[in-house]
Amino acid sequence: MSEIDEGPRATGNQAPDVFKVGAWVPMRQFREDEAVDFVIVGTGAGGGTLACRLAEKGFSVVAMDAGAYYRPLEDFASDEEEQSKLYWTDQRLVDGDNPLKMGANNSGKAVGGSTVHYAMVSLRFRPEWFKARSTLGYGVDWPLDWREMWGYYAQAERALTISGPVTYPWGPKRPRYPYRPHELNAVGKVLARGCEAMGYKWSPTPLATVSAPHGESPPCVYRGFCRIGCSTNAKQSALTVWLPRALKAGAEIRDLAMVGRIETDARGLATGVHYHRNGQWRFQRAKNVVVAGYAIETPRLLLASANERFPDGLANSSGAVGRYLMTQSNQGVWGQMDDEVRWNKGPPSLAMTEHWNYEDRKDFFGGYCWMSQGPLPQEWASVQTGSRGLWGEELRREMELYNHQVGVKMVGEMLPVETNRVTLADEVDQYGLRVARVTYSWTDNDKALIAHALDQMEQNLLAGGARKTFRQEDDTNHLNGTARMGDDPRTSVVNADCRSWDIPNLWVCDGSVFPTVGGVNPSLTIQAIALRTADRIETLAKRGEL
Amino acid sequence: MNERYPGYDVLDKRFTQSWNEKTREVVDKRLSVHPGPRFFTAEEWPVVQAICGRILPQPSDRPPVPLPAYVDLKLHEDRQEGYRYAGVPEEREAWRRGIAALQAEASDRHRGSFADLPAAEQDALLHAMQRDELKNPAWGDMPPALFFSKRVIPDITNAYYAHPTAWSEIGFGGPASPRGYVRMDFNKRDPWEAAEAHPGGEEKARRENRRIV
Amino acid sequence: MFGLKRRPPPPTLSSFAVDMAHAMLQARATKALAKAPAAAVETATHVRRTGSNRQDAWLLHGAAALLGGSVFADSGVEHYRGDFQNRAMFLPLIVSACSIAASLHGATTRKHGSHRMRDAAYAAAGLTGIVGTGFHLYNVTKEPGGLSWLNLFYSAPIGAPAALSLSGMMGFMAERVREAPAGTEPQLLGLRTSRVLAALTGLGLFGTVGEAGLLHFRGAFHNPAMLLPVTMPPVAAALMLEAAVSPPRKRHRWSRIWLAVTAILGVGGVGFHAYGVSRAMGGWKNWRQNVVDGPPLPAPPSFAGLALGGLAALRLIERHRR
Repeated sequence: MSEIDEGPRATGNQAPDVFKVGAWVPMRQFREDEAVDFVIVGTGAGGGTLACRLAEKGFSVVAMDAGAYYRPLEDFASDEEEQSKLYWTDQRLVDGDNPLKMGANNSGKAVGGSTVHYAMVSLRFRPEWFKARSTLGYGVDWPLDWREMWGYYAQAERALTISGPVTYPWGPKRPRYPYRPHELNAVGKVLARGCEAMGYKWSPTPLATVSAPHGESPPCVYRGFCRIGCSTNAKQSALTVWLPRALKAGAEIRDLAMVGRIETDARGLATGVHYHRNGQWRFQRAKNVVVAGYAIETPRLLLASANERFPDGLANSSGAVGRYLMTQSNQGVWGQMDDEVRWNKGPPSLAMTEHWNYEDRKDFFGGYCWMSQGPLPQEWASVQTGSRGLWGEELRREMELYNHQVGVKMVGEMLPVETNRVTLADEVDQYGLRVARVTYSWTDNDKALIAHALDQMEQNLLAGGARKTFRQEDDTNHLNGTARMGDDPRTSVVNADCRSWDIPNLWVCDGSVFPTVGGVNPSLTIQAIALRTADRIETLAKRGEL
Repeated sequence: MNERYPGYDVLDKRFTQSWNEKTREVVDKRLSVHPGPRFFTAEEWPVVQAICGRILPQPSDRPPVPLPAYVDLKLHEDRQEGYRYAGVPEEREAWRRGIAALQAEASDRHRGSFADLPAAEQDALLHAMQRDELKNPAWGDMPPALFFSKRVIPDITNAYYAHPTAWSEIGFGGPASPRGYVRMDFNKRDPWEAAEAHPGGEEKARRENRRIV
Repeated sequence: MFGLKRRPPPPTLSSFAVDMAHAMLQARATKALAKAPAAAVETATHVRRTGSNRQDAWLLHGAAALLGGSVFADSGVEHYRGDFQNRAMFLPLIVSACSIAASLHGATTRKHGSHRMRDAAYAAAGLTGIVGTGFHLYNVTKEPGGLSWLNLFYSAPIGAPAALSLSGMMGFMAERVREAPAGTEPQLLGLRTSRVLAALTGLGLFGTVGEAGLLHFRGAFHNPAMLLPVTMPPVAAALMLEAAVSPPRKRHRWSRIWLAVTAILGVGGVGFHAYGVSRAMGGWKNWRQNVVDGPPLPAPPSFAGLALGGLAALRLIERHRR
């Protein structure tokens, strides 16, 4: 595990140039004792996007990340084991009826956050989900209007140069994706064939990896290691899109900087953050603090910053901080073909269907989509051992069928429940900070949705020509909730602008603010919300309301 | 030794466009792993070797993937998974306790070390662990099934499928950067991918696999 | 003495090409004269008699060869990518090679008149292109999604085999021009060859523009230069169609200019595409992936081939206006 040994890279008025081996770009730096306009904790989909837009609007910004600042071309290997350096593997405790698997996949520890290893699936919410309670009868309403979000989605899609279908088959009209869709691989064609046999629409997946050159990104070479970090920079992520722009606009990025506590003053306002870098605790003063650490680290930081004035943690008068944690169900169905498939070629989710996100004739709440898959050997072995309990000679024999394997996995909506939550455990991590305890249990609705999806996905694979199918019943992925937005300070942590109700200069900008989670991957929505937040901050600043 | 992909060795591509410098560096390091044990004690070591031998038995006609060494290395470096089931101790402690408990079970049932049991008896014990049927007090509050599924299985299978020998065995293309893949459709392979032997076509596949660069 | 002297060439690049062709013919005739006086006299007479026709034929053979060459290399790369999974995938390679060979023979032989083998090669090219289009169409429609953007982008290119047909047709025209008595224009199905050729070039250009447009749309026109082949050649194509139907003029000045532009694009396009390959991950070092996956190097010259055919059409129209 070669972490970056030399310590922080973004120092001395320069930051790594992610597009060139060994190169640097100039970086503005701020003094710690001078209050910057915004200190942002986290540089992923939420923090990275916001840092970029705020800097471009002329605010002084320092964005911190606990992870390292990698140059993909020289630091990323084609190797699952090595690339686990991108995951957040600091200790966490998991419990509840359905303890969440953490670490790999669902959280990142690198500048750029989880977008460095995301699957690049860039989908919009179904409009009704923003008013799930009033239009569909479950969860809660968001304080946002889908029509406004549609504009921000388009903005995010342009910035990320999404490669997607010429026309998207579901939902209201949207502008054409900036780049054309990628070619399907064989496993994508299995999904497509299966959908056609079932009478469902399918689509090439809109992906944040370019199908033609763009800027300094070469077109995707279909190496298939996307989910452990793209070593060619075809992937459009916070690391390669938002942060280079942020640096150009004058933001400072501090890598290997772990924020442990937000300080508040006698007036109850945030004054800055304590952070650990280069072996010591330091303090950065700021006029505003934005927490963008994703749905575990964000509530952990807010709770850990409790003080006399805010004994239950910051921004927590509602008691909602850490509550309503929502993962997404990520069950899958796998099968075999006589044909050679070689599913590891190409991005892992080239074809998808949102059929059950837009079809309401079902006896449970929420929706889901599913996508074709192409796991690498370690991950595939974990499916065989985890779902089928295989080991020994049998495991080795099954693994030899790797190139004949096909599969689909879902991204399913789970309902917000108060008791699914993040709290602080008594044990501490390497920084001396209390570790997060993540408690999760599926609701009956979640189980019904999963059962429905497993049936559907199995039908899909069989109709697509696969045989010997089996189900992976236990996987989950994305994390949301824990600092949800709303219209009512009594039941939510932040308002529609991602501004905390309790502390007006404390903001949360990441997946934590989702009141419901929808049945699609959240990264595009997180980025769209960050774009909106930046615009709102600009407006508020002009009105003198910051 | 490799029936499905005869003659295919992913390491043949080490100096082609399929491998970048970083990949060469990390795989070289992996191939020169410290033989161990550094974390495990001399008493624990044969048990670890026996467990690895049963979880992933390897063919005798090729150099084995040194699985115990990788498990030892992981624990020696104290690499964390990033989460832990409440009630399950962390990695190092889990392995220590798990091995001690397994030895206690072996001693109860067969009056010997786990390492000395015949393969079938070892498998029976491992199956019992997988099914959470072991009750020796040495397990403490650590459920044997969780130790099996969250520690033993991932630590050993991850080590195996991170090894080029395993990649070759399953016909995985292996590292791919800067060169990725061109042919995406069914039954299509790029000239730098493993050729699979179809019935009667073993020699043809072997020839193709010798040409892979 | 070869007719061109009576008409000083206008200062365009297309006429430069004609000059070159002319000079080569002249040089060959002179050489022949020096070598064998008796035969040379005969040849010279023959050249005088059929000279203009020969130059037209020479241009058409050139057009056929360029189009054939483009198909040869392009289908070679693309069908290699497809592992030649179907034996028929060798066919365009063989047939385009025949078309090239016939064209080289036609352009260099001193014998006037048509030749049965060349005619056969050109006919094969014409037919193979049509059959290939059918194959490609089938290939597209059998994929999930059928006739969708995705399959138009990534399945067998529907427009590509037509270039082989065009190569065959250009060669066929060359043969008809060659066998026509000096000073006369051959007729095709009761139509003047020049007009048919002009129309064919115009339609061929439009088709090629469509193909380039589709693939450049697939590339999201990420480089502004990708707009060139969908904006410039259509002008030439329209002018050729106009020339096919309107009363003949003494000189199709603008048509010639636009044909020249189209030809330059065809040659320059290779350079642009080579740059595209260098921009892909691994650049030229990773040529085994990028030459196949990147912008197709052999595709643009088909524009140049069609431009040559168009030039021949214009020359015929201009000379045989009555």
